[in-house]
Amino acid sequence: MTEPRPKIVGFCCERHGMDAVVLAARSGKQFEVSVRLVQVPCTGRVDGMHILRSLEEGADAVFVLGCLEKNCYYDTGSIEGRKRVGYVKQMLSELGLEKERVEMFNAASSNSWVFPEIVAKMVEVVRKFGPVGGEKR
Amino acid sequence: MIVAKRKPLNEIAEMLAPYKKVTIIGCRSCVAICLAGGEKEVKMLVSALKIKNKRDGRKQQIEGTVVERQCEKEWVQEIEDEILDSDVTLSMACSLGAQTIGDMYPKHLTFPGLNTGIFGVPEEQGVWSENCVGCGNCIIHTTGGICPIARCAKSMLNGPCGGSANRKCEVNLEVDCAWSAIYDRLKLQNRLDLIESVTPAKDWSASHSGGRRVIVREDAKLTQHQKKGKGVT
Amino acid sequence: MNAKIQVVLCKCCSEMPKLLNIARLEKLASESGNVLSVMTLDGLCDGKELTQIVAEARAKEIDRAIVLACQKKDVSPALIKAYRRAGVNEYLVGIVNIREEVVLPHTAEPERAQTKAETKLLAAIARSRLLQPLERSSEDMKTRNVVIVGGGVAGQAAAREAAKYGVHTIILEKTGKSITAPGVVMPRARLIGGKGYGGNFELRIKVGESVEDLGAASIVVASGGGWATLKGALAKTVKGALPLYEFYQKLQLDQVPAGTVVFMDTPDPAGKTLKVQDFAWDDTLETAIELKKKRPDTAVFVVFQEMRASGLSELAYKEAAEIGVKFVRYDRSATPKVDPKDPTVLTVKDLSQGEVLKIKLGAMVFASIPASQDNQIIAEALRIPMSPDGGIRRGSIQRGPVSTPKPGVFVCGSALFPKSRDVAAAEGEAAGKMAGEFAARGSIEYGGIVAQVTQEKCSACLTCVRTCPYEAPFIGTATKAEIRVQACQGCGMCVGICPSKAIELLNYTDDQIMTESKTLLGGDF
Repeated sequence: MTEPRPKIVGFCCERHGMDAVVLAARSGKQFEVSVRLVQVPCTGRVDGMHILRSLEEGADAVFVLGCLEKNCYYDTGSIEGRKRVGYVKQMLSELGLEKERVEMFNAASSNSWVFPEIVAKMVEVVRKFGPVGGEKR
Repeated sequence: MIVAKRKPLNEIAEMLAPYKKVTIIGCRSCVAICLAGGEKEVKMLVSALKIKNKRDGRKQQIEGTVVERQCEKEWVQEIEDEILDSDVTLSMACSLGAQTIGDMYPKHLTFPGLNTGIFGVPEEQGVWSENCVGCGNCIIHTTGGICPIARCAKSMLNGPCGGSANRKCEVNLEVDCAWSAIYDRLKLQNRLDLIESVTPAKDWSASHSGGRRVIVREDAKLTQHQKKGKGVT
Repeated sequence: MNAKIQVVLCKCCSEMPKLLNIARLEKLASESGNVLSVMTLDGLCDGKELTQIVAEARAKEIDRAIVLACQKKDVSPALIKAYRRAGVNEYLVGIVNIREEVVLPHTAEPERAQTKAETKLLAAIARSRLLQPLERSSEDMKTRNVVIVGGGVAGQAAAREAAKYGVHTIILEKTGKSITAPGVVMPRARLIGGKGYGGNFELRIKVGESVEDLGAASIVVASGGGWATLKGALAKTVKGALPLYEFYQKLQLDQVPAGTVVFMDTPDPAGKTLKVQDFAWDDTLETAIELKKKRPDTAVFVVFQEMRASGLSELAYKEAAEIGVKFVRYDRSATPKVDPKDPTVLTVKDLSQGEVLKIKLGAMVFASIPASQDNQIIAEALRIPMSPDGGIRRGSIQRGPVSTPKPGVFVCGSALFPKSRDVAAAEGEAAGKMAGEFAARGSIEYGGIVAQVTQEKCSACLTCVRTCPYEAPFIGTATKAEIRVQACQGCGMCVGICPSKAIELLNYTDDQIMTESKTLLGGDF
């Protein structure tokens, strides 16, 4: 019996976030297949609802990846993104769900190592907590 | 505006747990502006509760909707079907909204999703301060435009008290002393004489202490004749 | 509306077929609703194949496209151009990054990679059906003015470079000093207010005692540093404290006072010391060496928190140490002090030795100048952010090193943070080029992916107005939010925060985003 595969959704900004993903791939980095990225212009566009809806629709973990806060293309977008993620985390804890399932990350377009680390971290979270519904897949 | 805060989600989930069909109703007025019960909060709450139910293996149907002003019967009436179609309604408006629905549909269960807090002023985005308690008899023209009833921990009419030090309140050292602020404001307005005049004890009968208050504007009320025209008895 | 989608698979020069089964992807695409055409190309980068896409798109009257290729920004300009010829709106050309999201990072698991690629394709088709064609509009710039705030080294360099673009440069110089630069120089002129957006700014300036309005297409902030800004105890109490470049000039003229010379990082307006940029240390080291060589008997100290001599200046550091320049490192928690009663002695705790040194001062040289006090007013006028050190904060590096977060406003020299004259001049040239090019466009393009308000839902709560970094949302005459599209950058911050869900970002609506995530989650993992 193989371990159930993690289902991870990442909302990724089209600026530094996506650049960091592309650079990781072009640098020959490999990472777990289970990540599905949704591109948004800026992590400030991400709504807590997008994150919650993903968890509702089967994701085991959701992350948001944006520019470094001091180097955000839209100046304050990744700060906004962080706050949205923080609010969802709070909602999950209030419900007794693991807030670790939702995480904000930041990357610079020159950071080839960041994205594989993010994926590894989220995979680890899912390994630890299993699927949200607890059902076997 | 009325400022409210969402109840902790576990409390909400517990309240709703016994029911199969839940309708969550937000409001586009005060509570949307204070980021507690607008469409966004309703949608997030619906989703969060569904995740919780998925985790707990609970079957529950949850819908969300929003009305313009939940404290007004006409707006609530527009979603009557959604309300009555559910086992329980969770109001994401202030208690006025929740009670309006409750009064309109007394057999139907309506629960509060928010804790209604204060009449608040948005100090900055995300921060609201209580500057009025609705005492029913405003005196701020004599206190430099600052309400000592709401902003002084002791609601003193003749302040400051002996506990005011370094412009802070002895009850909470992080809170500004209202009377110190009143002094500064009156000084700025060249009206410091006002701080020396003694304000007599307040008639609290206009405040909540006198029981539930009703404000009536006689000339705005519809006459029986007018009401008949609308089919209301 | 019936979407007519064309799906294009790019083999990325045979990289894709190594891992993925192209035939399966083609089949999946052609069996999906609304997909009228499926094409596989060897490599999009080859312009020739774009012609085939266009021909097919025309023949099948395609109105939207999904291209499975590599990173969006690498392929999208050429694709958009090609599809425009086929009459496809540029905002309906979707690019799915199969190469970097699937092919390259998942080489060991071809089966799962295939599933992932298929899911991504389906998600892209689902999203594509929901997209709307969007248009861009343009607005003429009312002037070709490039307004340069500050006529120092950086400002003058900016004016020279901007003028090459055939624009009209105007330097606002707060002092009355004479400046040789192209265009207009307004002495005793300050920027005190402004509104508008990149391309059409309306500035308010104070010239002498009168207040005037000035239109600007673009703006360069070159407010420089302010020696007068130095408020630190050190700079106040030490007599004869001077900035590096003045000391250097004195050194050339042999006017350096006798006695021990201490070079140090610059106190900032808050009285603490600023970390000095690398190049300022380069200049400091060279000056210290020159001084020591000219006057071997003079005791020379370099007092610093963090020394970064860049590149070949490492050699200068070595040389300085060898010829007897003393390096003293201190910690920010224990900044060097001068006793106000005896301002000739500097007390500093040497971090490496742990001992407290008392240095009798001859001259005190600060590595650079702190930010100008005018920055506060300038930042407020243009509504651009400041750094904690009192400088103008620059925007994301992806916008360019002399850009502020606000399009059309550029910044250079010590307005950003303390730096040497050479670097300030170089930055001034860069900012001048950017501002000149910006103003020379003559018109601004806007629209496309911008925020849009559904006014019936708006509660006029002002959250969008307060959150937007670009001042795009405002409460209009209907007391509902409106979007100033010329200023909207399409980030969607207002959309994500609106408590009434009254704002949508075109082609990144909640429905479009969540349809994509839902489809992605619907597939196998």
